[in-house]
Amino acid sequence: MAHLILGFCQWLETTPPAVALRDSVWVFNLTEVVHTLGIIFVAGTIMLVDLRLLGLGLKRMPVSDVVSRIVPRTLWGFGLMFVTGGCLFSAEAVKLYNSPAFRIKLVLLSLAGLNALIFHRTIYRQAAAWDTALVVPPRARLAGLLSLILWMCIIAAGRAIAYGPGYDRT
Amino acid sequence: MRQSLLPLFDWYGHTGLARVMSDSAALIATAQIIHLIGMALLIGTIMMVDLTMLGFGFKRHPVSRVARELAPWTWTGLAIMFATGPINLASETQRCYDSSFFWIKMGLILLAVAFHFTVHRRATLAEPPVLASKAKLIACVSLTLWFAIAIAAKFIGFYGEDLREALMSLAGQSIC
Repeated sequence: MAHLILGFCQWLETTPPAVALRDSVWVFNLTEVVHTLGIIFVAGTIMLVDLRLLGLGLKRMPVSDVVSRIVPRTLWGFGLMFVTGGCLFSAEAVKLYNSPAFRIKLVLLSLAGLNALIFHRTIYRQAAAWDTALVVPPRARLAGLLSLILWMCIIAAGRAIAYGPGYDRT
Repeated sequence: MRQSLLPLFDWYGHTGLARVMSDSAALIATAQIIHLIGMALLIGTIMMVDLTMLGFGFKRHPVSRVARELAPWTWTGLAIMFATGPINLASETQRCYDSSFFWIKMGLILLAVAFHFTVHRRATLAEPPVLASKAKLIACVSLTLWFAIAIAAKFIGFYGEDLREALMSLAGQSIC
């Protein structure tokens, strides 16, 4: 399994678009800038939903309003992050394959996605019953707390990639 | 102006804090991560107010209510950034002093903070709300300023050298 993934990474970074991106410092850096803006967008918006679920922010707004008005904006950011992240990955696939921080980041991203999916499919279905409550059911609070922690850790793991082998901390 | 600040940067780069910071990659990374989390909070809260003014945010709540509810978290984000920013600076005073993007970033921060607590604040808290066209303009200026700070910050890392050299290398690459 591991050598299949490594093989894929080796193939991916020799594809012409990946080579072109790697060789153009300026396009690569700009892609990285957009990727960073994407994560600010994602984390910055989803944190507000989390703060509402934890009863710490947007307290007087119904949970359904907060979720329905903010989550679509989070998805904009996620699209941006995913596209630019995929491009950046293709340019240095093998280096990232070997980066522990990158592997942790992927696991954390999956967990954040799973957490959001479980929240929307279960407790959020009954949101009408606690829509305007300041203190929401424990399971919804837990989802908010997990999301907040996971996104902070994703930011941390992303930064940590730059401190791994082959990177110069920028 | 910039040169007159050199002694200050020199002194700051030789303080105990600067020594401790530049000796530890773990400390530098931690300070950067906290700075980034503060930025997500600061820009996230301001962005949601701006998107509401642009018609992409809350529909059933007035901007003034969104702004008032988010203000404590904007403050929290700003406090985190102002607390960790100088610590990050301590680890690379010379590099920041030499980088045009660092000075651009500082200028943009002054502009953004001044704009946020005057024009932006008055418009977001106004009741009845300001004209939609005026609100949209203010939201665009606000988003541009805050995102420009994030972009300038990212560029400090990319180009330690002078802006002119950076631009020349950009021009050189696009010609090739």
